[in-house]
Formats: sequence, structure tokens, C-alpha cells
Amino acid sequence: MNRVTDVSALKEQYDLVVVGAGPAGLSAAATAAELGLSVLLADENPAPGGQIYRAVTTTPVQRREVLGEDYWRGQPIVQRFERSAADYAARTTVWTVGRTELMSGGEGFEVGVSADGQARLIDARHVILATGALERPMPIPGWTLPGVMTAGAAQIALKSAGIVPDGRVVLAGCGPLLYLLASQLQSAGANIVAVLDTTERGNALAAAGALPDFLLSPYLAKGLKLMLAARRKLRFVGGVTGLRAEGEGRVKQVVVERGSARETIACDMLLLHQGVIPNVNMTSAVGCEQVWDEQGHCWAPKLDAWFGASVPGISIAGDGAGIGGAESAALRGEVAALEAARRVGRIDEADRDRRAASVRATLARAMRGRRFLDVLYRPAKAFLAPKDAATVVCRCEEVTAGQLRETTRKLGVQGPNQMKTFLRCGMGPCQGRLCGPTVTEIIAEERGVAPAEVGYYRLRPPVKPVTLGELANLPKTEAAVKAVCR
Amino acid sequence: MSQPSKVSEPDVVVIGGGLVGGAVAFGLARSGARVCVLDEGDVAFRASRGNFALVWVQSKGLGMPEYAGWSKRSADDWHQLAAILREETGIDVAHSQPGGFALCLSDAEMQQRVDAMKRLHNQINMVEYGYEVLDHAETKRRLPDIGPDVVGSIYSPVDGHVNSLRLFRALHEGLQRRGADYRPNHPVDTITPENGGFRVVGPWGEIRAPKVVLAAGLGNARLAPMVGLYAPVKPSKGQVIVTEKTAPFLHHPMGTLRQTDEGGVMIGDSQEDLGFDTVVTQPVISIMAERAVRMFPRLAGLNVVRTWSALRVMSPDGFPIYEQSTTHPGAFVTTCHSGVTLAANHALTIAPAIQAGALPEFVATFNSRRFHVPAHA
Repeated sequence: MNRVTDVSALKEQYDLVVVGAGPAGLSAAATAAELGLSVLLADENPAPGGQIYRAVTTTPVQRREVLGEDYWRGQPIVQRFERSAADYAARTTVWTVGRTELMSGGEGFEVGVSADGQARLIDARHVILATGALERPMPIPGWTLPGVMTAGAAQIALKSAGIVPDGRVVLAGCGPLLYLLASQLQSAGANIVAVLDTTERGNALAAAGALPDFLLSPYLAKGLKLMLAARRKLRFVGGVTGLRAEGEGRVKQVVVERGSARETIACDMLLLHQGVIPNVNMTSAVGCEQVWDEQGHCWAPKLDAWFGASVPGISIAGDGAGIGGAESAALRGEVAALEAARRVGRIDEADRDRRAASVRATLARAMRGRRFLDVLYRPAKAFLAPKDAATVVCRCEEVTAGQLRETTRKLGVQGPNQMKTFLRCGMGPCQGRLCGPTVTEIIAEERGVAPAEVGYYRLRPPVKPVTLGELANLPKTEAAVKAVCR
Repeated sequence: MSQPSKVSEPDVVVIGGGLVGGAVAFGLARSGARVCVLDEGDVAFRASRGNFALVWVQSKGLGMPEYAGWSKRSADDWHQLAAILREETGIDVAHSQPGGFALCLSDAEMQQRVDAMKRLHNQINMVEYGYEVLDHAETKRRLPDIGPDVVGSIYSPVDGHVNSLRLFRALHEGLQRRGADYRPNHPVDTITPENGGFRVVGPWGEIRAPKVVLAAGLGNARLAPMVGLYAPVKPSKGQVIVTEKTAPFLHHPMGTLRQTDEGGVMIGDSQEDLGFDTVVTQPVISIMAERAVRMFPRLAGLNVVRTWSALRVMSPDGFPIYEQSTTHPGAFVTTCHSGVTLAANHALTIAPAIQAGALPEFVATFNSRRFHVPAHA
């Protein structure tokens, strides 16, 4: 691995640019570089690992049991990448990927990168987007109060800086990550006063069909251990049907509803989480087609068997391709890289298939049991589309659930793009990451149709912030001058 | 997926629910017509979502002075439209006409603009409005944040801007309050003249009305011949940049740069004829960014939130088309690339005329007959 700290030191063109240094991106970059491709791995974090293995080479948390054995599996993945000949640009954002005619001839992509306030366009013959997942928003009344944050954000603080929240902590929501964080925070010494589970009772029955598969999966031992450990030591409240964060200027308590029963729990911090969904911002901005994933209840890019997107030359690996977890992310990265190597002519089809066969077999095992988890932890409707009219949905532009419902009904709004025009939701700095799923869900509910029919925001570059000054310094063409100076 | 229909027998069907269709339909509803608006769905080529939001008069009308007069008329009536929208919908569309500048970054550019303005105002039948040619020092006095590269500017007191997204919403809100029947996801396949009226058909079914207004933007090219009209419009791509919000510093719109009432800075407006292509291209964005930073150096540090491109609806000479069919009276076409500037005309002049059954004599210039000249002439 060759660390590049200045964007001007990057090559003009790479066979492959990989975006994101989580398990998928690291494996893709290493696999491709080992096959002789020129590879750039660009990532916005200071060190490799992505979210799941965040700071695995640099974390101050050295007691291995705190973050758990699964976390440390990131080390060999990083080490393999470090041994490869790939270029690695840390603290570097990729703000656009667009189709272009390559200087060297043929079709390819221009990849806009930025680091330390300097932007540059790099040519790539193939691009693998490994931009991972993000937490599904959980908009409850009061979720914008200081002291309320996502469980994922708390985990980042723990992994990268060893920060354990002070005071009384309440976790609420559903999904394996919630239990994982509960046990990690507890091992690290946090004072967890309650874990509020919003999983619907009916889900267990619905998931029963997928149980045999799950019993054969690697999730089983891991999941049960986590859950039992957390349950043994913590106060678990199941069947939660309503949540409200309250406090003046800061969260002071959370009001919990279980059917008709109500309880108030005092706390200093409330951590929310209801699963992860693919981060579709980059794939959508590149123009890749998205499809509704019924099982995961989310949008995901449309992909072929090699994780190729609808735009030829763009592949998507890891959780950005659909949630599969860390182990499968690394394997999907390998598969996508093999196809990239074939596309740029490094290996032939037979070679690709031969190399992919064993990876695919392992991948199938790693994906086992996923359906059970997806069905079991499908978020409850009440937490996907808040009924409370005053609950803020778009935090950047302060648009409430009530406004969204009223505008859908009154003005006949069909989808999030027209909604954006009317209410500005999704137009702020987060580009809809925090409101998109909820906006789609609310419009679907009001129109009485499925989210698949409602669609999602059409996203636009820049996917990550870049300044006007940086854009002004990029290369220009004669045709472009004519288009602007008339 | 059928929408509840409120009006089974409307007086007029407006095809297109963007800024042009919205303004005409709103005006028709205000004139007492029972209106049905047929619109596309959530994803469509919608100039109304991508426009630059200027109410702009200076520099318009070279080659057709009547267009300058038409733009000026709308700018004058915009004050009234803004008041009506506020009153009927409670929405403030942030309309202001403090006068606009065209900033020039070289002597050649300046000369070109000055010459164009002279030619424009030397035309016979040109509407009267004042404009000033300002040097760097005077421009700097009025716009203290300009950079040293700005050699001068042209200022016209009639220019202004609005919040065009709020205008879009206000028109729809107004339509709703006036009882119009708005039908999204209703693309139109055919229009058939029948028994002195029209039968409009799409995958959703059909609707009949004595009058039909084509306000379907680029779709007008296909629809117009079905009712004896002609609207040879083509897409012209424009790219736009918008920055993060910043404290108000710019109280006048520029032709290619404006600070919105919400604080973001919009930068436009490129023009390319590339068909139905809406890809954002970095070289164009880069030049727009560079020119913006040279105009106002303080913008360099602002984050760009979004870039996009949208398609203008361009007629062969760039001027609007307003016409009633002579073979099938009752069918009208309205098409232009300045749906914001001309919104006041569409709601307050065109719509009442359609309701009355005849377009005013002074818009006869915008008839499509001007395109029927021999190709070799």
C-alpha cells in the first residue's frame, strides 16, 4: 500500500478506483491490486476499517473483550490491503463520479476527489463503490434534543476515541446492532439504565419460516450470546409501542408506551437505532438504478451477479449493495474486484469464474440467516412513519411529519422529489440521508400505496461537501466556456 | 391507481402542472372556470424544479421588441401576482424587484453587453425602461463585495427575483383552494377534437372538455399538431450550482448569480443544446464556479450543496408561443422558457383571455406562423 497524502500526487488514471475503506473496499482494492490492476482506494476517514472496523489499527480501546472478537477480525483484512500495491488516500472525500471519455481513449469515469481543501478529477476505467450502510432514521418526538443520538454515533465515539457516555444511558429501538452496542458500552463501563425494544411481537411468528436457515447460520451463536449477555445484566423492556424524548434544552427523560401502559424513565442520554440500510447517495447520484428491497424494507441498487450496477463499469460491494454484514462485505468486495479485473482485461472470464467459485461458496454461508434477522427486526410502522404531527422529519430544513402528510393529501404530491420542491425537505447539507426513508414512508402511507411506488430522492453531486473555490480550480474545456460565456 | 375526480365535466383541461400550466390554471380558476390539470408523476423533465427564479427584463427582446414589452408587462404585474398569492394561499413567494445587475469580467464582455443593450433599445416599438452602464467603481459602490476582476456592469431597475419553489407551491395551493381538479400521474397520449370540444386520453382513461390548454413544456411539440397547433420546442440544457446558506450579503439579483431569501447562493446559467441530456458536467460547473468567485471572492469558501441541470423549453427563435388553434378553436398553446418572469402574464392576462375565448391582439406576435417561412429564405 502506498499512502498518498496530497491529491496532486495521485495518478491521472487508475484501472480501478474504490470508494470506501471498510471491509468491502479494502478487500476489493487488495484483490484487484494483487491481480496487477492500478488501484486507488479513497476514504474519508483517517485510518482504514470503515464503520464496522473503525480505527481497528489505531483504537485506544485495547481490552479486546470490550469491542468483541468480531471487531478484531478487521485486522487481517487491513493487513492484506497494506501488503498490496494499491494507492491509499485517507481523509479524502469522493464528491462526484461521472461518466466520461477517458484521455487514454474509451469509456470510463471521472472521479472528483478532495483533500485538505484541494479538489481534483481522476480518471478511472472501473469504479467500485463501497460506501456502506447508514442507520435507518428513527424519528420520535424529541429526537432532535441534545443528548439524543444514534447508537451508531455512540459506537464511533467508543471505537475511535474510547469515549463512554456519562450519566444514565437509555438505548431504544431494534436490531442486532442495538444489542451489540448495549453489550459493548456496558463492558466499557457505561451506566445503562434500560434497553427499550420496539420489535413488534408479530415479527417472531413471521420470521419462523426463515428459522431453519438461521439455525445453520453463523449469526446464531453470535447473536444469542450477545442477546443473553445483554439481557442478563441489563434492564430489558420489550413490546415498546411508543417513545418520546422530553426535556428543556436537553433530554431529561424518555416516556415509554407499551400498549396502554406508560412509564417515564429519567436519563442523560438516549441512543436510538432501528437497523441499517444501504447508503444510496453516491450510487443514485451516479445514475444507478435503485430498487425497493422488500425483505430489508429499504432502497438498494439494482445489481447483477457480479455486483455490477445498471451503469456499466460501476460495481457496488458491501452493505451499500444490500445489508449483509461485515463478513459478506469483504467477500462481495472480492467478487466485484474479480469482475473489474476481467473488464479491464487482466484476467479472462474462465479465470474470473474459477477464482470466484470458492468466494461465492463462503459468501452463501455468510449470508445465511439474513432473512430471519430482516423479518424479525423489521421496524414497526409507528417508528417508520411518525403519527405525531409535530415530530421533525427533515432536521436540516425543519420539516415535520404533519406538514408532509398534509402536503401529500392536499396538493396530491406523488413522491419525494415533488415534496422536496414544495417543502425543501432533503435539500439541506445532509442531502436527505436523515429524512429520505421517512419521507418516502409517510407519502406511501398517505397515498395508500407501497414505498416502492413512491420512489426516493433523485440525488445530485456533490455527494460530499466541496467548496466553490475548489470547483473553480478544476480544469475547463473550450466547449464549456462557450456554454457559459454567451 | 386512480385519483378521485372532482370535476367530471370541466370547462377547460390544462395539460401540464409546472409553473406555466400552474399559472394559467390558477388564472383560469380565478376567472371562474372549472379547471382540470393533468400532470406527470414524481420524476419528469420539469423545468419548474430546476429554474433560476429571476424576474428578468434587461437584455430580453433583441430581434423581437414585443418580447421585451411582454417581459416588462409581467415584471410590472408581478407585484399584483405576489399580493394575490399571499392573500389566497398565505404563502409569501419572496418576490422582490430591487433592480438587477449583469456583471462583466472583461472589457470585451462589457463592450459586447453595452452594444447589445444599445441594439435592443434602438429597435422600433421597444418598450421604455431605464438602464445604466456602470464602471467598476460605481458597481463597487452599489455592490461592495465584488472582486477586482469585475470591470463594470449593466443595471436595470426593473429586474428582480422570487422564491420559485414557493411560487410553484403557491400556485398549486391556490388551485386547490379554488377547487381545481389536479390529477398527478396523468400523462397524455392523445387529444382528439370532437363535437366542438376535446377528448384527452391517457393510460388512466379519458376526459372531455370544451377547451384545452397545452402547457406541457417540451411535451407541447408532440401534442400541438393533434389540435392544429405548432410548437416546435426543443430542450436547452442549463446547469446550476447552489451553495450552503450564508448570511445575507447580496440584495440584488445578477443575471447569473443570486442569493435566495433562504440564504443559499445560486449560480447559473449555462446553455447547451444536447437533447434530453441532464447530466451535470464538471468543466461547465467549474467555469461557472470560477466566474462566480471572480465576481464575489467571498464565495470561494462556501460549500456547494448541490449542482443540477434542467432543460429549458426553447422555441426556434427563443421567444414564447401563444396561440389559439384556427382549425380547432378552444385549443390553446402556451410555451416559453421564462415561466417565472412570465407567471404574472400567464395568470393575469393569458388565463382570463382563454376563459373569454380569444387571446388579446397584442400577443399575436407570438403566433407560431412566424416559423412558417421557406427554409431557404
